[in-house]
Amino acid sequence: MTSKTNETSQTNWEPKIIAFLCNWCSYAGADLAGVSRFQYPPNIRIVRVPCSGRVSENMILSALKSGADGILVSGCHPGDCHYISGNYFARRRFALLGNLLDFIGIEPGRVNFSWVSAAEGEQFAEVVRTVTEKVKELGPATRLVKKIEAMQAA
Amino acid sequence: MKVFKISQAELDNMVALWSQSRKVYRPAVGRQQQAQPDYGPGWRKAEGASPLTVPIGPAAGSVKTFLFPQPETMMTYSLKTGDPDRGLMKEPAKLTESQVVVGLRPCDARSVLLNNLPFREDPFYQANLERTVFVGFTCDESLSTCFCEQMGGSPLDSDGLDIAFSRAENGYLAEILTPKGEELMAGLNLAPAANSDITALADRRKERPGKDTAILNTMQGKDLNKLYEAPLWQPLGDSCINCGACTFICPTCYCFDIQDEVVKGSGRRIRYWDSCMFPLYSLHTTGHNPRGRKLQRTRNRFMHKLKYFPERFGPFSCVGCGRCVQDCPVNIDIREVMADLLTVE
Amino acid sequence: MPTINEKISEEIRAQAKKLLAEGTVAAVIGYASGSLPMTVKPLVVRRPEDCGKLLWNTFCVLNLANFLPEVLKSVEPPRGPRDPKPEGPLPKVAIMATGCWSRNIVVQIQEHQVERERVVVMGVGSRGMVSRRKVEALFAGREILAVEELDHDLIVRGSGFEEKINRWSVVRDNCQTCTHPDPLLVDVRIGEPVSDRKNPNPFKQVDELEAKSAAERWGWFTSEFATCIRCYACRNACPLCYCPTCFVDDAKPQWVGKSLDATDTGLFHVMRAYHCAGRCTDCGACESVCPMGINMRLLTKKLNKDVLNLYGIEAGMQPDSPLPLTTYKINDPQKFIVTEAGAGKEGE
Ligand code: SF4
Ligand code: SF4
Ligand code: SF4
Ligand code: SF4
Repeated sequence: MTSKTNETSQTNWEPKIIAFLCNWCSYAGADLAGVSRFQYPPNIRIVRVPCSGRVSENMILSALKSGADGILVSGCHPGDCHYISGNYFARRRFALLGNLLDFIGIEPGRVNFSWVSAAEGEQFAEVVRTVTEKVKELGPATRLVKKIEAMQAA
Repeated sequence: MKVFKISQAELDNMVALWSQSRKVYRPAVGRQQQAQPDYGPGWRKAEGASPLTVPIGPAAGSVKTFLFPQPETMMTYSLKTGDPDRGLMKEPAKLTESQVVVGLRPCDARSVLLNNLPFREDPFYQANLERTVFVGFTCDESLSTCFCEQMGGSPLDSDGLDIAFSRAENGYLAEILTPKGEELMAGLNLAPAANSDITALADRRKERPGKDTAILNTMQGKDLNKLYEAPLWQPLGDSCINCGACTFICPTCYCFDIQDEVVKGSGRRIRYWDSCMFPLYSLHTTGHNPRGRKLQRTRNRFMHKLKYFPERFGPFSCVGCGRCVQDCPVNIDIREVMADLLTVE
Repeated sequence: MPTINEKISEEIRAQAKKLLAEGTVAAVIGYASGSLPMTVKPLVVRRPEDCGKLLWNTFCVLNLANFLPEVLKSVEPPRGPRDPKPEGPLPKVAIMATGCWSRNIVVQIQEHQVERERVVVMGVGSRGMVSRRKVEALFAGREILAVEELDHDLIVRGSGFEEKINRWSVVRDNCQTCTHPDPLLVDVRIGEPVSDRKNPNPFKQVDELEAKSAAERWGWFTSEFATCIRCYACRNACPLCYCPTCFVDDAKPQWVGKSLDATDTGLFHVMRAYHCAGRCTDCGACESVCPMGINMRLLTKKLNKDVLNLYGIEAGMQPDSPLPLTTYKINDPQKFIVTEAGAGKEGE
């Protein structure tokens, strides 16, 4: 609904998506996608974390505040966590956080969560394509984004 | 000093006229307006608010937000790679735009003068003071929580104001007290006040002079160490939750902290409200905190207002507006604290 | 005839005196009368002769559990930070508790902030606490000088007026939707137990907002928090907030800026609420203490709803099971994961 409001900015604008990937599965999946030469949009900026359980809401919200147009948090599939249960704890936290952000009016699709294993290079590329598509649809992020330049004057 | 007689309609016209060339703010009235402030917490643009009415008692937001805004940008800089000015601290463009605050009460007006004591060499405070015109309304009625008189103020006083409006028959008396006030009134065709009105106001002032100094004098005679060690702090320390509500709504609390904020290579250094009620406020870099316990922090707020500040500057650092009395979640009432302190021998 | 709360006050004074005189406890946390109408002061009583100050009324909106960890520490014999815990049992503290406060004490026990053996809970069934703001709103523009409490009505007096209003109509929203008003932990029972309330939908306010569009919800969020002055009374009144350094005070990294910037204020509230997920008992202390009348409680209420729907847990109701975010189930719902079949919003 917010898309295509401004044709020129839509065509020039490329979203920046911050991806928090766990070291053992999703990061390795991204690596595999790379070496296998699966094509995916170049919009993501990867932050490697030890485990999806390490990703706190502070990181996600900080990325939003700093102007990330989209967020992707990805970990090992349930049952595959290198630390046995990190992603199970993360799953509860992300479910609640996602719903809370939705509740305050952050557009669905801005903040995304996925499971990608080290063997799923193609699936990783697919996730990035889906997320980038969604974020492009939404347009540049404005909600919970901090703008300092505008405030420098006063 | 010029004194004019002004009707409600003339007042509303004046406000409309001022609004054409400057920002004019008035207190927000009621929850709905407070939820949509135009300036700081609690202030709304005065345009279109006719008839302009000022609620009894102090405005919801204190006036310090105009002189000591939350936050004040002190410097700006860029950290962008390739920017020739990278890392250079720049002074932000000085704000000179004139603003008018309409509807403050004598307590808040006095707070401007009191805060000016510690801030007299502060360029930001001074610049804001310079560009702000205070149009106040004296109080014929007050709230049960008002105690300005005990703190050295008076409900009918005009100290700290540029223009003071007082109730008169069928309208107001407007006293033009400063050159800034005169400038604001320039070009307005107004009727000078009748002598009878002026004497009536003077009589009311004589009847209710306020400006008590009894408590101040007694307090100054007390030994600081005895007050500091008094047992009365224990229950206050027990119940205070160390929120900063009292300090943030208080017109005479002026503590601040400074931080840098950087987003995408653009940075600014801001000064924002801090509170002696917060542990971080007094935390040293060594990790030591001289006010590490709740009781110590609670004590500091009251000792600062009622003992340290008077010793340093003369008057109390409290104008008796009663805001903290109304809004403290655990009902710590500075009037009771003061009464207890006065009994310390 | 004494009112229900007068009788309760009488009992509290007697029981507190007994506990202190017998030496069972070293301190009692309760309430004393306030200096303004509709206010009370939290009070820590340490001597039996001071028990006369204790009282109970319908304006006890602050959650006393908030004071418990600190008071427990204050009655321990003084020792240095590295000294070992003294041998033998440490002194106990008695505390007044309603349904939600007792659940907060349960959470404090689960989180190892409080030891069960050291607390004597004086349980009172809550009849709902009155919101001072609601009463003041009814008398907008007229100053209230005295409020007298009857069992079912309040008599509100000011200069030149006296009106009787129905008590329940001005009871706080959280109390009106509360289903467990009776304390979960009771060592000393005060007054009569109050049975659970049937409430067809305790999350009505949340549902109403959820039914709106994202843009409308964003509109609500931005305007609701527009007046926040960042005094942190909501945080400090909450018995869940006991971290020595709060995330707002972190400077490196600076998670949230400290000024009144709308983004920073919004982030503060999102994070504060989120830190209460699965722990909040909807006691309403945060909302009651806000000097700006902001309803930040709706955020925690939303989280409470999700925690109940997704994980079947209400904070403080199951003392023996772990808190929802410190545990998991293999088959927890995960519709929100984009890689799952039928991905979508969680809980729908
Ligand atoms: S005195 Fe009251 S308002 Fe001030 S910090 Fe303590 S509890 Fe908060
Ligand atoms: S201490 Fe309280 S009464 Fe005194 S000026 Fe501050 S808010 Fe007003
Ligand atoms: S978040 Fe609010 S309602 Fe929930 S426990 Fe804390 S103070 Fe009570
Ligand atoms: S108590 Fe109210 S004003 Fe203070 S920080 Fe919380 S929401 Fe903001």
